[in-house]
Amino acid sequence: MPGYFARLTPRYRRSWALVAAYLAFLVLISLIDFGGNTAGQTLFRGLMLSMLIFLVASGLSLIFGLLDVLNFAQGAFVLVGAYIGYATYQSVELSSTYSFLAAVGAAVVSVGLLGAVIETGLIRPLYARPVFQIVLTFGLGAILLDLVQRIYGPQPKQPLAPPELFRGTFYLFGQSLSIYRLFIIGLGLVIMVAVGLLLNRTRLGIIIRAGVQDAEMVQALGINVRRVFTFVFVLGAVLAGLAGIVLVPYQGATLDLGNQFLILAIVVVVIGGMGSYEGTAVASFIVGLTRAVAEQMSLKHFDAPVLAETSILFLMIVVLLVQPSGLFGREES
Amino acid sequence: MIERAVYRRVERIENPTGRKLAAGLVRLVLENWFYALFFVLLWRFPYLVADLTDSEVMPQRPTGGSVFWQSVMAQTLLIACLAMSYNVLFGFGGIISFGHALFFGIGGYTTFILMREYEPGARWPVLAGFAALVVVIGALARIPWRRLALAALVGAALLYLLLPGSGGVSVYQGFGVAVLLSVALSLLSGAVTLRLRGVYFAMFTLALAEVFWVLAKSGTLRALTGAEDGLPFRDLIPDALNPTPTAGGNRLAMYRVTVIFFALVFLAIRRYINSPVGRVIVAVRDNEQRARAIGYNAFHYKLLTMVFAGVLATLSGLLFVLWGSAKRVDPTLLSLNYTVEPLLLTLIGGVGTLTGPVVAALGLELGRTYLREETFTFSTRLFGLLSLWQALWVAGFALFFYVFRRGLRRGVARALGAGRDPGSRAVTLAAGAGAAAALIVVALVAQAIYAETDLDTYVYKVADLWQLFQGMLFVLVVMLLPHGIVGTWNRWWFNRRLRRMARQAAARAAGAETAEPSGGHEA
Amino acid sequence: MTGPAAAPNHGAGAPPLLDVEQIHTFIGEFHILQGVSVQVPRGSITVLLGRNGAGKTTTLRSIMGLNPPRAGQIRFAGQSIHRLRPHQIAQRGIGYVPEKRIIFRDLTVGQNLQIAERQKGDLARKADLIFGLFPDLHRLYDLPGGHLSGGQQQMLAIARALVPDNALLLIDEPSEGLAPVLIEQMMDAIRRLSAHTTVLLVEQNFQVASRLAEHYVIIEEGATVRAGRMADLVSDKQLIKTYLGVA
Repeated sequence: MPGYFARLTPRYRRSWALVAAYLAFLVLISLIDFGGNTAGQTLFRGLMLSMLIFLVASGLSLIFGLLDVLNFAQGAFVLVGAYIGYATYQSVELSSTYSFLAAVGAAVVSVGLLGAVIETGLIRPLYARPVFQIVLTFGLGAILLDLVQRIYGPQPKQPLAPPELFRGTFYLFGQSLSIYRLFIIGLGLVIMVAVGLLLNRTRLGIIIRAGVQDAEMVQALGINVRRVFTFVFVLGAVLAGLAGIVLVPYQGATLDLGNQFLILAIVVVVIGGMGSYEGTAVASFIVGLTRAVAEQMSLKHFDAPVLAETSILFLMIVVLLVQPSGLFGREES
Repeated sequence: MIERAVYRRVERIENPTGRKLAAGLVRLVLENWFYALFFVLLWRFPYLVADLTDSEVMPQRPTGGSVFWQSVMAQTLLIACLAMSYNVLFGFGGIISFGHALFFGIGGYTTFILMREYEPGARWPVLAGFAALVVVIGALARIPWRRLALAALVGAALLYLLLPGSGGVSVYQGFGVAVLLSVALSLLSGAVTLRLRGVYFAMFTLALAEVFWVLAKSGTLRALTGAEDGLPFRDLIPDALNPTPTAGGNRLAMYRVTVIFFALVFLAIRRYINSPVGRVIVAVRDNEQRARAIGYNAFHYKLLTMVFAGVLATLSGLLFVLWGSAKRVDPTLLSLNYTVEPLLLTLIGGVGTLTGPVVAALGLELGRTYLREETFTFSTRLFGLLSLWQALWVAGFALFFYVFRRGLRRGVARALGAGRDPGSRAVTLAAGAGAAAALIVVALVAQAIYAETDLDTYVYKVADLWQLFQGMLFVLVVMLLPHGIVGTWNRWWFNRRLRRMARQAAARAAGAETAEPSGGHEA
Repeated sequence: MTGPAAAPNHGAGAPPLLDVEQIHTFIGEFHILQGVSVQVPRGSITVLLGRNGAGKTTTLRSIMGLNPPRAGQIRFAGQSIHRLRPHQIAQRGIGYVPEKRIIFRDLTVGQNLQIAERQKGDLARKADLIFGLFPDLHRLYDLPGGHLSGGQQQMLAIARALVPDNALLLIDEPSEGLAPVLIEQMMDAIRRLSAHTTVLLVEQNFQVASRLAEHYVIIEEGATVRAGRMADLVSDKQLIKTYLGVA
């Protein structure tokens, strides 16, 4: 890690400093505006949101970096993961921990398969036409949304009880919280580190990072890049599906889940810089915390969550104008 | 054939001025007869429908086929205008914007918020706000300050003239301000093209439009925008702009206004694209660096295109709002729907073709309305031949084999024996036969399964399935018809003409060869 | 090792290692190559000459399968490769050093080399050869590729192509944008590595090319116009002037 910071270009160093300053600002302003306990609760909620956003955004960022596809179906993957997981969790009659595991398995496998079919069958023939890929994934997102609605109905699904393992509560910031929330944060962190290790320590990861810069050159070295493309697309889909199922015991499943997370993930990816893994990770925290703080703030002062929704959009606009390729993205030549 | 005969006749005119005039006239007619015919058809459309449905063109109560279809056609034409304006950006300018809905929806909100809220005292604050916006844009675009000051001055002067010093804002003044705001917002997003490219620019426009959408539907600003319910304007518009006959409006007149607007938009776009400016824009799309190297300021041309497309979208949006039956400016006008819709129509019709978006809009929108009450089950027969599920199977299979055609060829080549060329005719035949056999087998199996279920008990309504249908259309068009309807048509004709020219050239060459010896004797 | 890399110079009748026969390549709608033929004899350096935009880089890309030809034949070591995908072509034993020395900026020098391994241990086996040719790379092993100078990046790009057992190297404009001293070093390295593999070189700098290569192929407007022994070309000033515009 110290080696990492030593080797940073000045721009990255400035970006890190900006991020640190901004996060400190968020903490400070929430402490001043809400006072200790509410500030803690808000930031904790933001942290959890950050982890969920990260699961969706990391896939989006990797897919964009490597395949040059802005995957508008990423939100639909969250949706499909949530609903399939919901149905499995509800119908499998085992102890709640095992049925939750079964639900996670079902969600991950089905979304992964979906991703594999979409990538090999539909996206692959369109590598040369990036605009069409956007349109294609957009259409796929619409189809998946419609199918989910057709199969599971338009009514929102109430949250299911978390698996027994995480059913306890703990006391934090003057409020008792479900341990399941800790589980979400823990899971997010574990995956953040695991994917980071995959990218930095394995041959596959090195190939992916090389491919983000120049997939053609990787191919010319004798590596079957298409297989790597499929792997990354499936990985991205799986992470999104995982975010979907993890949400079920927390806030249930609703049809607007997909679009909600898609917008958040796009904002994260743009702020962090497309294709940059550390950028995505850092931007997830920025967006998650900003949203939570803005929500709390606008509820307190305006009685309505306008700020929550616009704040991150403004954040994205500002970042784009100040740093056109995101905080950690490579500057386009 | 006729064309060539006419031109030959024109060439025989002795008087040079007369020849030139005749040639111009002939060209005008030959190039525009189709559009003129279409215009006449649109103009007569209410009467045609009235005859067909045995209803009145201009009844006292807004009922009957003609009245209904006037409204549908008018809204379809306005959607077509929106799609055409998007096509100017996307097809001709190569600018991918995800925020076009902003321009479509902003007009109605600006006009009617101004009409409801404006007080003479607000004149100077509005001017100040406008000046601030200009400064922001100028800073982003790094426009020289002289030009910036000039633009700000012209804009402010126009705004000053549009905003009355006493009394309220009239609807036309509101329209004017809306167009001015649209220009400013176009310039703002255009200025950003300097710094952002490709997906980043698309994301910027998306965020900008989303901000307005979120604000428009947010409950906090209910007093100003009406939030989710929309902004009511029934009492704000004069009869001349009201297409609802009950309230003293004249639908037929409004329909004609819309048709004329549509024609003007089409002509304006055609003129723009075929003008020297338009040629540069296409050049910038194809290769920005090269266009810049020749000495064109690509940025200025992009800016101009964005303003042009933005203003057209705003005007279309204004008329579209007036046509709405609820007489409310709905926040969905600003939502992603109205960006995706023109994008879809542009793609289906043909990116970068003049008529493509119109063809797609007419087909899809009219089709949607025409079929909206239709229902079907899985055994409903299409054209009396295939039931729906059979058609779906065939389509699915065709798509499958199309997508995996290369792998299939390789597999068949390998199965037929080593060294077989995957591109050879034998492989094509074998793969086709195999695919057909597989199709039949799977269809039989599916039929066996289907016989056991009672899918027929589900009755589907076309209107309910529209979302799904639209998504599938997206995918199919992108996969199978990348040039769109008109684009594919144009290419087909172009290739046909090329082939014919090649044939003629070959024939001429052959003729010259046989003729040469005899010619030699004569000499 | 029995690979073709060990083969010494050949007799006149031996089939060429790479035989590009009348290929036609399109980029988009543009017909870039309109009948390019290149024969690369085993164990030598062949240079592709021609003006800017003549189609030299596209020829290399066509051989690699990055812009596959629509018509024509490419045979490598006796087998036809023009229908294969780029990674399959590379696996047959062709190394590609692209124009503008594309190295992976985010990866370290070591990772840049490791990624080219086709079998585990390739790098360890070739370490002596690579670091013998380019001692700098050993020193810079843990630095990100983006931190290297232009010359070092060029060395890394060539070294990367040496990691697996490649019978043929396609090297595109190795001297472009380098200082004269560095060009000398680069040429020296290429001459030394040509003892191990066959090289097809694209080079604008005729002085450099003429000293390095044994064979030449001249491409003009997307078609081969001339090919032969470098010695014959060097003595024919008129020819040089016609096709290359240098005296």
